[in-house]
Amino acid sequence: MKKKLGLIITLLVLTLVGCGSNVGASDVHSVDDLEGKKIGVQIGTVGDTYASDYEGDEAGTVVERYSKGNDAISSLKNGKVDCVIIDEQPAKEFIKRNSDLSILDEEFTLEEYAIVIAKGNDSLEEDVNKALAELIADGTLDMIIDHYITDGEVEGLAYTSPEGLDYANGELVMATNAAFPPYEYYANNSIVGIDAEMARAIADKLNKKLVIEDMEFDSIITAVQGGKADLGVAGMTITEDRLKNINFSDPYTTSKQVIIVRNGESGAVASIKDSIYQCFIEDNRYQYLVQGLWNTILISLIAVLIGVVIGFFVAVVRATHDKTGNLKLLNALCHVYLTIIRGTPAMIQLLIIYYVIFASTNISKVAVAALAFGINSGAYVAEILRGGIMSLDQGQFEGARSLGLTHGQTMRYIILPQTFKNTLPALANEFIVLIKETAISGYIGLQDLTMAGNIIRSNTYQAFLPLITVAVVYLIIVMFLSAGVQKLEKNLKKNERHVYD
Amino acid sequence: MTKECIIKVENMTKSFGTDVVLKDINTEIYKGDIIAIIGPSGCGKSTFIRTLNLLEQPTAGAIYVHDVDITHKKADINKIRQKVGMVFQHFNLFPNLTILDNITLAPVKTGQMSQEEAEKKAMELLERVGLIDKARAYPDTLSGGQKQRIAIVRALAMNPEILLFDEPTSALDPEMVGEVLSLMKDLAKDGMTMVVVTHEMGFAREVANRVMFFDEQIIKEEGTPEEVFDNPKSERLQNFLSCIK
Ligand SMILES: Nc1ncnc2c1ncn2[C@@H]1O[C@H](COP(=O)(O)OP(=O)(O)OP(=O)(O)O)[C@@H](O)[C@H]1O
Ligand SMILES: [Mg+2]
Repeated sequence: MKKKLGLIITLLVLTLVGCGSNVGASDVHSVDDLEGKKIGVQIGTVGDTYASDYEGDEAGTVVERYSKGNDAISSLKNGKVDCVIIDEQPAKEFIKRNSDLSILDEEFTLEEYAIVIAKGNDSLEEDVNKALAELIADGTLDMIIDHYITDGEVEGLAYTSPEGLDYANGELVMATNAAFPPYEYYANNSIVGIDAEMARAIADKLNKKLVIEDMEFDSIITAVQGGKADLGVAGMTITEDRLKNINFSDPYTTSKQVIIVRNGESGAVASIKDSIYQCFIEDNRYQYLVQGLWNTILISLIAVLIGVVIGFFVAVVRATHDKTGNLKLLNALCHVYLTIIRGTPAMIQLLIIYYVIFASTNISKVAVAALAFGINSGAYVAEILRGGIMSLDQGQFEGARSLGLTHGQTMRYIILPQTFKNTLPALANEFIVLIKETAISGYIGLQDLTMAGNIIRSNTYQAFLPLITVAVVYLIIVMFLSAGVQKLEKNLKKNERHVYD
Repeated sequence: MTKECIIKVENMTKSFGTDVVLKDINTEIYKGDIIAIIGPSGCGKSTFIRTLNLLEQPTAGAIYVHDVDITHKKADINKIRQKVGMVFQHFNLFPNLTILDNITLAPVKTGQMSQEEAEKKAMELLERVGLIDKARAYPDTLSGGQKQRIAIVRALAMNPEILLFDEPTSALDPEMVGEVLSLMKDLAKDGMTMVVVTHEMGFAREVANRVMFFDEQIIKEEGTPEEVFDNPKSERLQNFLSCIK
């Protein structure tokens, strides 16, 4: 009861914070005003490059870099930055949905968007350029662009694949960052936009099936370089720096950077009912959460299994070494494993496993994440179990060994069952930590529960409901788990006290 | 009459680091022997008895069980331990197993008996010590005396040739000492070979055929109970005996 009460109070406090007062107009009216201001950009974009020129100047300009355009906009709305430099078309989309924002008239130079292709992949580059030329010639590309760049609402898709395609040439994987309307964004649980549809049209021409991988903007080039994706299509401007690492196709459209500021009008404050509708009902957005929850549970379950297997193995090797002095080499290996895993952040481990170890393998992200978290958790499970084994009375080992049982049998029938029971609370705690740790899966573009909340947040510009919902779902999972463990613990205890006859 | 030698200790030395606990011990243990080991605290009684089944590895010398040197790397120590049972001061029952499983685990897992045979044997032994109603109970529900009797039964279930006891009654409340000692006396009557580290001088005098007094890193004095208790030769033994009277 106390728990629920605490929860409700927290919710109310957060509501008040969430509905904080409106922030006034930005003090930025032209490029000349940028000095000394806080500039928001999306990390790795051309806007970032422009803003970086001001960074660290005498006036104290600060550049805030966000991984998504939407996050930069949210920060602008609630006053965390004074302006946002971003590509023109997304900017137009953003102000269409946010009446409290405006675009300054001033513009930066014209840029060209093109498709990113790995260096050396000449045949694909040739194919893509040929397909692109055809799409421009027959008007398909213009048709797609006109569909998305409109003053009205965008409805449905622009391009329909011709019938009878058998995709005999396999898959074409496109890396993108789907928070950049109208080029790429989530609608109705799939990624749409100019880039997405153009890429599909290109794939169709190559007789390949398009697969879209959503990831951080600054991961796209690495993904294409490493072979995780064939193409990077993400409103990517051709720049000298990028050309050093990657090739570009012929440009398919032009754009320019613009500055978005707060115009002083108050943004429409949605009622709770509208908020709920926007966050969950509209566009079937609740499905992001359902899918995310499923992925989170799946990753956690597999990771726990992997973690327990690794943990048991390592703990037994280490304890055997401690007790008998055998298994020197294995023990040394286990020691290295424990040192590395416990000495580095889980997120870095996840990124290394995805981008380095499985760089050119086509393996599902859920599998990669489960493996990464399993390997990570195994180290902690191992140390918990080893502590449990070492803290057992030495007499348990001696009692078993004096009967002629081998070390292995002693471990299996006497030591590990007792260790498991004694360490259950610590293990449960580790699993709770693990479940919450999976929240970083978004870094490899995996749509877990946290990522689902983020997608909804970036589509609706609402922080409160998506974040609270995600938090509550995690809380419920953890509470269920704790209750289950408590029950198991009780049962194990009862077992030993129970007299049958 | 030559007696069958079960264990032979040859020039055995045991030290912990630089701390020499036992120095150059020589002795033989024959079938049917009941040896009581006495001596002041810390003189190495436990260490000695634990080297006999290699729970402690001797620093030098050899220990033969029949003709096998168990200190040799190639010796199959698990096989030998099956024949050399041990009962500990703190029982060391397995709290995660029922009494029955405590008793049957080793005979079954070492391949000596089938589960059925082991259970039959366990029930016979439990019957004998009057604890058959505890077969399905867990160790935590037993009294100290009951636990120690179960520990003895557990060792007996392996059909050992010799049983080692390290102060089997020292952790018991006084009123429970009797039940354990009387079980040990029964075993003695049946001809079980036993080595018992004990502070129960009455038991040593009544049951043992040999008494060893450990002191100053060696077996300081050895003889029949009469020789050791009634005619102690060394001053150390005289002092020891006068202290515990
Ligand atoms: N694992 C060990 N490491 C270091 N020293 C040890 C170890 N085990 C025993 N000793 C030392 O060896 C000596 C003999 O110990 P042991 O336990 O054999 O004595 P004991 O005769 O059984 O004494 P008690 O009557 O108190 O049981 C003691 O000085 C003890 O401190
Ligand atoms: Mg002792």
